[in-house]
Amino acid sequence: MSYFLQLVLSGIVVGSIYALSGLGFVLIYKSSRVLNIAHGQIIAAGAFITYTLTVWGGLPLYLSFFLSMGVTFFLAMSVERIFLRRLIGEPIISVIMVTIGLMSILDGIIYLTPFGGSNFSFPEFFPKTPINLGPVSISWTQLVGVIITFILIGLFSWFFKKSTIGISMRAVSDDQLASMSVGISVPRVFGLAWALAGMSAAAAGGIIGNITGLNFETLHAFGIIVFPVVILGGLDSIVGAVVAGIIMGVIQQFASGYLDGKWGLNGTADVLPYIILLIILLFKPHGLFGTHEIERV
Amino acid sequence: MSANRWLATGNFFSSYREEQRIFATHFDRAVFAVFILALLVWPMCFEVSNKYMLVIDNIMIAMVAIIGLNLVTGFAGLISIGHAAFVGVGAYTLAFIARQMGDSHILITHFWPGMLLLCGLVGALFGGFVGLPALRLKHLYLAIATLSFQMIFQWTINFLPIFNQGQTISIGRVQWFGGEVARSDHYLFWYYVILIVVIMCGLAVRNLLRTRYGRSLVAVRDNDRAADAMGIHPGMTKVFAFALAGFFAGVAGGLHAYLYRGAGIESFTLHQSISYLAMAIVGGLGTLTGSFWGPAAIRLLDLQVENLVEWSARFMPANMNLATALKPLTFGLVIVLFLMFEPRGIANWWRIGRTYVKLWPFRY
Repeated sequence: MSYFLQLVLSGIVVGSIYALSGLGFVLIYKSSRVLNIAHGQIIAAGAFITYTLTVWGGLPLYLSFFLSMGVTFFLAMSVERIFLRRLIGEPIISVIMVTIGLMSILDGIIYLTPFGGSNFSFPEFFPKTPINLGPVSISWTQLVGVIITFILIGLFSWFFKKSTIGISMRAVSDDQLASMSVGISVPRVFGLAWALAGMSAAAAGGIIGNITGLNFETLHAFGIIVFPVVILGGLDSIVGAVVAGIIMGVIQQFASGYLDGKWGLNGTADVLPYIILLIILLFKPHGLFGTHEIERV
Repeated sequence: MSANRWLATGNFFSSYREEQRIFATHFDRAVFAVFILALLVWPMCFEVSNKYMLVIDNIMIAMVAIIGLNLVTGFAGLISIGHAAFVGVGAYTLAFIARQMGDSHILITHFWPGMLLLCGLVGALFGGFVGLPALRLKHLYLAIATLSFQMIFQWTINFLPIFNQGQTISIGRVQWFGGEVARSDHYLFWYYVILIVVIMCGLAVRNLLRTRYGRSLVAVRDNDRAADAMGIHPGMTKVFAFALAGFFAGVAGGLHAYLYRGAGIESFTLHQSISYLAMAIVGGLGTLTGSFWGPAAIRLLDLQVENLVEWSARFMPANMNLATALKPLTFGLVIVLFLMFEPRGIANWWRIGRTYVKLWPFRY
């Protein structure tokens, strides 16, 4: 039983990071209908900037965390401004392919930095002794990471529900023409959506870096695992991304906890999300919370 | 059209049948025949080193794969981010048989044309399966479906012992009339095989696009509701497009496995899928000639990048791996720049150049 609870707990830890990454992804999709395949690279960039500022720049962790969020804010915004702004109105296929190209470009740039080839890990900022909660235990880093994640998710949700900019973003995702007619600048909202997504990606990257260490391949994988998460939650639902992120994290932990080693299987945590993704696409393509578009193909 | 098809000065079609011809004039046909003959003859005239022959073989295998990718992405308008996985399915079909029956089993060495066909059919099976969500969904979701197939494929090869966990599975040398194909002739032999496959695939697709199914592909891409109203089943059209793309990819994979005499996971990763997409985009989506230009252009660019890396290795610190950095960077830049400034690809330059030559010395 305690094994089960431990798996659930570590699933929630991983899942909350998935939720944060999925949040940024959904944000971009919801406002501008762009499938951002380069999300993992932005997460990685955020993590590396945090590391650079903390370890090589000597700044305190919280400061570099916020600074890296600021940097990716402008990074993502300029990506939107330079590459995607001029593709508004183009067929969706070329927009998706531009993000694929972007993923490749960012990959190349990251490989040029020292982070491309080797592993790095943050120094320990929190006490090493794990916290025992009855039968299960959690490390301080993980606990703080989860708490920050949930605070950020809460802040983002508040932002969308209450602030003027958030409301205009929701308006744009609902109906672009109508929101233009009430004076919302749609391209600016697209830029903002990218910028906010960049911020959340950097936050996710910083937290992942602290929990698991920095490895480009791992961080890269976070950008791809976002797909099963957002498809399970529904592509255009922020609540969905959060719930599905946690579900996916728990499923992965169960897979590696119960399936690995049986019937000669190994590394099932890496494949199960994609199998689930294919099944969902076949039977319930709009996910748990997504809008059901009435559309016949 | 004028009665004498040697003397035609322009396209004067008087029936739909004439417009559907592959070669508008006898002159076009003659040029094409001479070109094919030249491709067949030139390796006999020049001494080509194995290194360059391998590059050429590689380009032509990529052409077979890109013909498939162009069918699904260019003509049917469905993005496939998992094309390397379909190529891998073909290669691993062969590798699986080699591993089960021994790498020089008679099936592999003597019956290789049949094996190539089998690779294609298995690829088509997987392509059709991954395309199944097309019955309900549109492009966006299909791109995700192919991406997840890529991930599942990589996992399957990397973690299952029957596929040697991603390590290379070797495949024996093939037999031709007069015995085994020797090491020195290996690349030349496969040059001819691949050339014939490329010509067959090109003609097959060219003809396919003249049929009812080929036109319905384009109709579904341009407006699937209108296509539906005309009595075309858009979902099934898309599923078949995926299956066809899988077939070409599978054949390419089989050729790849035979050429390298083995199959390993590193040729079928997500990066490879993206470089296939780059080839299709650079060549020109939705054009047949683009399927030939794209692979050639990207592979040559790739070679230049490698040369640059070798040249710059003298100045760079030894621990920096420039090749892993520059390759994705150039692919990404090429994809983005072509999409932004020349979305019709090199095929468009080819078209412009050809009309210029045809009309010379007159111009618009």
